[in-house]
Amino acid sequence: MHKGYLCLVLHGHLPFVRHPEHENFLEEDWLYEAITETYVPLLSVFQGLVDDGIDFRITMTLSPTLVSMLSDALLEERYLRHINKLVELAGKEIERTKWQPEFSSLAQMYHRRFTHARETFQRYNSNLVLAFKKFQDLGKLEIITCGATHGFFPLMDVCRPSVRAQVKVAADHYEANFGRRPRGIWLPECGYCPGHDEILKEAGIRYFFTDSHGVLHGTPRPKYGVFAPVYCKGSGVAAFGRDLESSKQVWSSIEGYPGDYNYREFYRDIGFDLEFDYIKPYIHPDGVRINTGIKYYRITGNTNHKEPYVAEWAKEKAAEHAGNFMFNRQKQAGYLNDLMGKAPIIVSPYDAELFGHWWYEGPLWLDFLFRKIACDQDEISLITPAEYLDRNPRNQVVTPSFSSWGYKGYSEMWLQGSNDWIYRHLHLASSRMTELARNNPQANGLKRRALNQALRELLLAQSSDWGFILGTGTHTSYAIRRTKDHLLRFTRLYEDINANNIDGNWLADIEYKDNLFPDIDYQVHQ
Amino acid sequence: MKILKKTKEALIKTISKARAKIKLRLPKKSPPPRQRVAQEAKEAPSFYETAISNTKFSHAQEGYFTPLRAQDLPHTYDHDRIILQVRDPRWLHTYWEMREQTVQSFKGSLGENFYRAKKVLRVYDVTNVIFNGANANRFFDIQINDFANSWYIDTNGPGRAWCVDLGLMLPDGRFITLLRSNVVQTPLDGPSWVTDEEWMIPDEMFARLYGMGFGLGKSSPVGGAWQERIKQGLFSSGLSSSPVKKEVKERSFWMKVDCELIVYGATEPDAKVTVQGVPIKLRPDGTFTLRYYLPDGKQFIPVKAVSADAIDERTITPIVTRETK
Repeated sequence: MHKGYLCLVLHGHLPFVRHPEHENFLEEDWLYEAITETYVPLLSVFQGLVDDGIDFRITMTLSPTLVSMLSDALLEERYLRHINKLVELAGKEIERTKWQPEFSSLAQMYHRRFTHARETFQRYNSNLVLAFKKFQDLGKLEIITCGATHGFFPLMDVCRPSVRAQVKVAADHYEANFGRRPRGIWLPECGYCPGHDEILKEAGIRYFFTDSHGVLHGTPRPKYGVFAPVYCKGSGVAAFGRDLESSKQVWSSIEGYPGDYNYREFYRDIGFDLEFDYIKPYIHPDGVRINTGIKYYRITGNTNHKEPYVAEWAKEKAAEHAGNFMFNRQKQAGYLNDLMGKAPIIVSPYDAELFGHWWYEGPLWLDFLFRKIACDQDEISLITPAEYLDRNPRNQVVTPSFSSWGYKGYSEMWLQGSNDWIYRHLHLASSRMTELARNNPQANGLKRRALNQALRELLLAQSSDWGFILGTGTHTSYAIRRTKDHLLRFTRLYEDINANNIDGNWLADIEYKDNLFPDIDYQVHQ
Repeated sequence: MKILKKTKEALIKTISKARAKIKLRLPKKSPPPRQRVAQEAKEAPSFYETAISNTKFSHAQEGYFTPLRAQDLPHTYDHDRIILQVRDPRWLHTYWEMREQTVQSFKGSLGENFYRAKKVLRVYDVTNVIFNGANANRFFDIQINDFANSWYIDTNGPGRAWCVDLGLMLPDGRFITLLRSNVVQTPLDGPSWVTDEEWMIPDEMFARLYGMGFGLGKSSPVGGAWQERIKQGLFSSGLSSSPVKKEVKERSFWMKVDCELIVYGATEPDAKVTVQGVPIKLRPDGTFTLRYYLPDGKQFIPVKAVSADAIDERTITPIVTRETK
């Protein structure tokens, strides 16, 4: 008997990292790794399910910066170069490990996977956005949007025109890429501030997500907790609260699946383990060791001693964990159904890039989970938020609480000693952008281009990723550079526009570097 | 009502207790065992997620970054403004900037008093009022130093509205406002006490849903064993805060040694060569290099070359023994 709904959400996002001015740019690897380890494996799971006639539903953010990078010709070309080298390295590894069967079978596994990633990438004309769109058009995947550059909205509350620009640029970009308006949005870092739902409504967005306490601490008290959406008072936009129990099952240090000893160890990579001259062609040209993605060990246990990975054992574990996850959701749905007197919706969001990247077996787990839910039971069913709202249009009206899914649940991850200095500059740039938009209602030609680029630079400076990296305190130099570079470009544009003295060559150069959102209109920053 | 209040307090206590124990330390480069993260994370999922999310931004060796030109942002923008923002239900953050011109004009009007005054932040509770400078519910002052240009303010007041003045406290007790901030609202740190008639819910039922939202639902049948562990985890973390406990530092010295074997040679460029029976590819000049991980034991490596016309043939067999002690 049907008891409730499970709404799986994968939040796919990477900041805009594209450096045409450097032949090899380390941070671009974030994208290449995610393509090989996360996006392609997820697409393969979706394709396999469709081929086998297994019905499924999943909701996935593709952030506008991620979509921009996935459909960028330069990055596509560089990814091919990257994956070609990996295929070559895996080939060499098969030979090198010839007298070690436990490793050579793994080298073969990587060789197959890299080759498959390359094939998949090329099959979709080097543009994976088209691949994701295909599954959306098939009705299996609901793609939602995000802030244009993943700005953390609560710390932009003093300059709401910037929140509006983040949302509107994102919604328009979504429409240009997916052929319809976005129904839902993933607020970057789940950062919600009461009132921002009005801005979502203006963009035609029907729903967003909050962390548990966003809904639970809403006013008035939500009758069904996080197990039914609420409509924001005033705007009527729906808010879905995260279920922490299912989140913890994946991420908890105690119960969390990815820590299983049979799963692949993330930190042992041949980029660091192998002899320098041998690995040199596959790490950074400056001789800096980096992760290659070829990792031979399983977590093994609590010490630094690691045993070789055994793919078959890991696969069995993934199946077992999928069964366990489903069983717990069945119990949870049954319990909630009795308590609430109606079918609950259990919302389980995760960072997409952690599937396959950190948790290597994550996509496999998802595959097992989808198949089990479709074939082994009828108590829970998968659903997207839009489908749920269509079936359950009547929901309580509540003002959700300010909240985020970051460390400690509010703004602290992005507002602490190591990163609070950025807001002085970001807020001022925001008010300057509003001023530019107001003073130049109908700019044309060079000036229009400068105004549009000013908005691009402002948006890029606002990415929460920079604040996050500064907050973690490791490898902060890139985040500092990016924050400063975009702010400095913005400031120069602001001054040049006001002085009516725009340097066309320099403008063309930064348009070429920061080339996302080709159809941006600076007038949205109001 | 009682049940809810108890549950809520207990929850907040346990959650904040668990969180208070966590230092934000994230995994560094190899070999950073994930267990360390896990142990420190205890039961605060957001910490664990933060640590793992950071792996998405994979980096090379510490300290390396792609060189870019260095340029700095301006220190000031020649504006008069003070901005207030919310960090969490309890804490606010404010930063400010004053134009030199504005400072001079205050100096002019206050004279000697300007130099004898103390710089303070006056924090107004403006919940449910349209603030006009005189109608705050209450206020408190924080004395700050002359060089500060930002401050974290502990309001201890969730669910309230706040406004801050940067000002001068004169020796005669007068307060002069230099700058006034925007108004912000801190969120509640627990469930609202407001319920709506149409969507009434008994307190006990809400307490169950609330607990489940945090994965701690007492009556939830899910993960009973797991809840036990959380309780134990919280209990033991309470113990470990005792100053008596000595931290045993795990020693991290390490070494590893591996062996690889390089087999190389040359023959006619058009010859066919096999190594251990497996054909290999020659470079255009007829040379070849093969590299193997060398395990313990004896390896026979017959290298056989056959001329293009299949008439000549040579076999050379290096025998290599590795023994690790």
